[in-house]
Amino acid sequence: MPRRLTAALTTLIALAAFTHGAAQSQSFYQGKTVRIVVGLGAGGGFDTYARVIGRHLGKHIPGSPTIVVDNMPGAGSILMTNHLYKVMKPDGLTIGHFNGAIILGQILGQKGIEFDARRFEYLGAAVKEDVVCGLTKASGITSIERWRAAKAPVKLGGVAPGATPDNSGKILNAALGLPVQVVSGYKGTSAIRLAAEGGELAGGCWSWESMRATWRKGLDSGEVIPVVQIVAKPMPDIPNVPLAINLAKTDDARNLILVGVQNSSAFARPFALPPGTPADRVRVLHDAFHATLKDPAFLAEAKKAKLAVDPITGSEMKQLVADVFKLDAAMVAKLKAALY
Amino acid sequence: MLAEMAGAFASGLTLVFTPAALGLMLAGIALGFAVGILPGLGGPTTLALMLPFIFTMEPAEAFAFLLGMAAVTATTGDITSILFGVPGEPTTASTIVDGHPMAKRGEAGRALGAALMSSLVGALFGAVALALAIPIVRPLVLAFGSPEYFMLAVLGLTFVAALAGDSLLKGLTAAGLGLMFATVGLDPISGTQRYTFDQLFLWDGIGLVPITIGFFAIPEIIDLAVRRTAIAREHFTKLGGVMEGVKDAFRHGWLVIRCSAIGAYVGIIPGMGGSVTQWLAYAHAVQSSPGRERFGKGAVEGVLGPGAANNSTLGGHLIPTIAFGVPSGVTMAILLGAFIIQGLVPGPSMLIPESRGGHLALTFSFVWTIVIANIVTVAVCFIFLNQLAKVTRVRGSLLIPPVLLLIYLGAFAEKNAFQDLYLVLFFGVLGWVMEKLHWPRPALILGLVLGPLAENRLFLSTDNYGAGWLLRPWVLVLIALTIAGALYPWWKARSARRREGAGAAAEPAMAGSAGSILFTLTIVVVLGAALWQSLDFGSRAGLFPWAIGFPVLALALLLLVIQALGKEKIPASGVAAPEPGIPAGVVARRTAAILAWIAGFLAAIWLLGFTIGGTLLTFLSLKVGSRERWPITLALTAGAAAFVYFVFERALNVPFPPGELFVWLGLA
Repeated sequence: MPRRLTAALTTLIALAAFTHGAAQSQSFYQGKTVRIVVGLGAGGGFDTYARVIGRHLGKHIPGSPTIVVDNMPGAGSILMTNHLYKVMKPDGLTIGHFNGAIILGQILGQKGIEFDARRFEYLGAAVKEDVVCGLTKASGITSIERWRAAKAPVKLGGVAPGATPDNSGKILNAALGLPVQVVSGYKGTSAIRLAAEGGELAGGCWSWESMRATWRKGLDSGEVIPVVQIVAKPMPDIPNVPLAINLAKTDDARNLILVGVQNSSAFARPFALPPGTPADRVRVLHDAFHATLKDPAFLAEAKKAKLAVDPITGSEMKQLVADVFKLDAAMVAKLKAALY
Repeated sequence: MLAEMAGAFASGLTLVFTPAALGLMLAGIALGFAVGILPGLGGPTTLALMLPFIFTMEPAEAFAFLLGMAAVTATTGDITSILFGVPGEPTTASTIVDGHPMAKRGEAGRALGAALMSSLVGALFGAVALALAIPIVRPLVLAFGSPEYFMLAVLGLTFVAALAGDSLLKGLTAAGLGLMFATVGLDPISGTQRYTFDQLFLWDGIGLVPITIGFFAIPEIIDLAVRRTAIAREHFTKLGGVMEGVKDAFRHGWLVIRCSAIGAYVGIIPGMGGSVTQWLAYAHAVQSSPGRERFGKGAVEGVLGPGAANNSTLGGHLIPTIAFGVPSGVTMAILLGAFIIQGLVPGPSMLIPESRGGHLALTFSFVWTIVIANIVTVAVCFIFLNQLAKVTRVRGSLLIPPVLLLIYLGAFAEKNAFQDLYLVLFFGVLGWVMEKLHWPRPALILGLVLGPLAENRLFLSTDNYGAGWLLRPWVLVLIALTIAGALYPWWKARSARRREGAGAAAEPAMAGSAGSILFTLTIVVVLGAALWQSLDFGSRAGLFPWAIGFPVLALALLLLVIQALGKEKIPASGVAAPEPGIPAGVVARRTAAILAWIAGFLAAIWLLGFTIGGTLLTFLSLKVGSRERWPITLALTAGAAAFVYFVFERALNVPFPPGELFVWLGLA
């Protein structure tokens, strides 16, 4: 079928959809397969969220399509996200799930990025990434005061440039002047945790949800101490751990923390559709996505898997992403200097 | 404490022996059995494809299912490796080296018996190691930091000497090439792109699956097509020898145990999976057995060692996954996902009895699953062994199209990346050239798998400790072991020479020397270009390529000079005419034809997609390529089409890309 004809048909469908929204989409999704393509490997955190959501999403879409979760790992999910932008069809049958850190990467000019994050149709996210830094008692850094007074740089584990543990450590150093040495190259936060337990590292900064689940015993016994949290308001279970943003002395420092870690936590785990997906299908999928996140059956499964649920809507996410692109050149330069 | 352990051990068994768990385990075993046998399709890929099914299972059932599957792929993968010379799993490539020559010699039964028996011993050893490690695993693993991991990788590299085959110089060069291939991708620390040619799919490095498949499967397919025979060259009336192989495992019992230990303990180290342990075990078998020249030509020890190690690795692999939630490989990363889905947090609680809120009995049920799955599999294999081995008598022309289709499928399904198919082709041709010119392929693979681990841990060590890490006690022990490991083969060769006098007859190889020189020259040029490009990497990302590249370049140049002067020595036994009885012109014509078919499959899949393109080429290569009769052509083609369409496209929902032709026409 010639492209022009396809385009005409798509327009026609879109027009028809505009008038008969729900009925049209119902017949559209009937008997179809919707794919959630995860830009990271099977078995990881991103993958698990997508799979648990995928199990319940179908029944909230009119026409009850089959939902399939695939993985297309590569380049920290840049590979899949480029694909979502350029290759995958905007037909409302493909949902991408990727690491939102690469959105910041786009602004900072990270190589390999061929998408424009502003143009995706966001469904939102199931959860924010609230970053907390946990350090071992053995490291001696048991409070922010001790950290400030440390004579040698405190070793925090990193995964790769642009990853949350790396960005967090570097921002703490740049914004608060805390002595930090990010030792990068660990294969995930589990490896960082192991190295900290073995005494090789002092600790690391990553999502509190994951840290408190996987480092439960250390946190309970006091071997691991949350020293600082890089979030807007304290996590309910650690109300007395200081907020990084309150420790910042200058506007620049506050901005670095906001842009480098805090705001991006809201778009850390986006679900998005290719640019140009018909508006009615975006709406159907968006509503279904958020209905799923409220579905008791989904919540029970998420609870069992210890997955936190703290939804962000598509429009909230679109706004947050758009905000990042409004940064002035001086701030981008500062951010770049801090992170790379 | 001990009573608690024993109690949990027993209740672990009852967890496995519920009807649901047992049934799912058997389903997992059946699946793993098939996946192991089918070349190309790997265990981890299948585990990932099965993840959606475990949501509705209880934890004990889910792990009985997944582990039952994972536990047997290495065993049945050995079968394919031995019979076809095509790795059934990336972790069973090493059983080809000696197992397949045995099959060609008509000793398939004996090789299979040996592989199965050693697999069983290895798996049981791994399970026991896991059970014993459970109480003491935390201090054991925590004693090892980045410096120790680095030294273990270096120690592993000294095994290259044993994998080098005829020529140590070629072995070292090949290992160096492997290390250089390992630097392809994003440098993990600075994020610099190394040798990625602006291709995103190369950012994460070259995948082990496409390399192993291409490296070992393609040369064998070419060989089979050129000879136009069945796999077994010599006719044999009865398979026999199965019991002989079983006896071999006991005859060399101590070797089997040692190799099981290598598999289990090396498997604990994150980053060292069965794809490493098999080669370490193979190298160990070569080093510790008399008559080194027998290896590569069908020495049963070369089957027993890796057969044991690739099975015992699973037990070792599970240790850090269960105790710390640190996956030591791809399989474990996927299992970790299963833990999360099941609401289990790997870590200390897995080692605490249920009465105190832990999951110890569940952990012990893993041990039982491995034990039971392997016993069942080996028993079933023994029953069907004769049927299986008959495959070696099927003519090659019927085997080639389905095998080609499967390896392309497997290469794709691992990461759903079409570019991996090009890697299969590239490494297939490289592997074929290396085989023809007597370059040791295992040495390259070992360099490739150990490279990233070594580089990563070296930088982590120096970042964390400066140069001080060199003085850590375990590092000193490992340095001593490395030196001993490096000197031992040399010392052994010297004392052997002294005993035997002049040594085996070795004569300069004149035949094919132009090709050899050309290949070595290509290596020199490519290495030079690689080093030139690495000047842009910066000191951090460039250090490893330089540290490896310059010595390897020097070795390759030395080799080039030796070859150019006509002084290269290849043992007389190693230069057997490649295809006895077939005129050189025919060999060349058939080689060109099969290379065209191999590339044609890829082109057809690219143009028409997996289902249509793969089916069409299966049909064409059967009917046009080898002029098979209509009934068999149609039956095989239909089988291939049904397999790809129903299993992959429909049941498993593998996202095959549409054929480019349909994209152009706007149909997809």
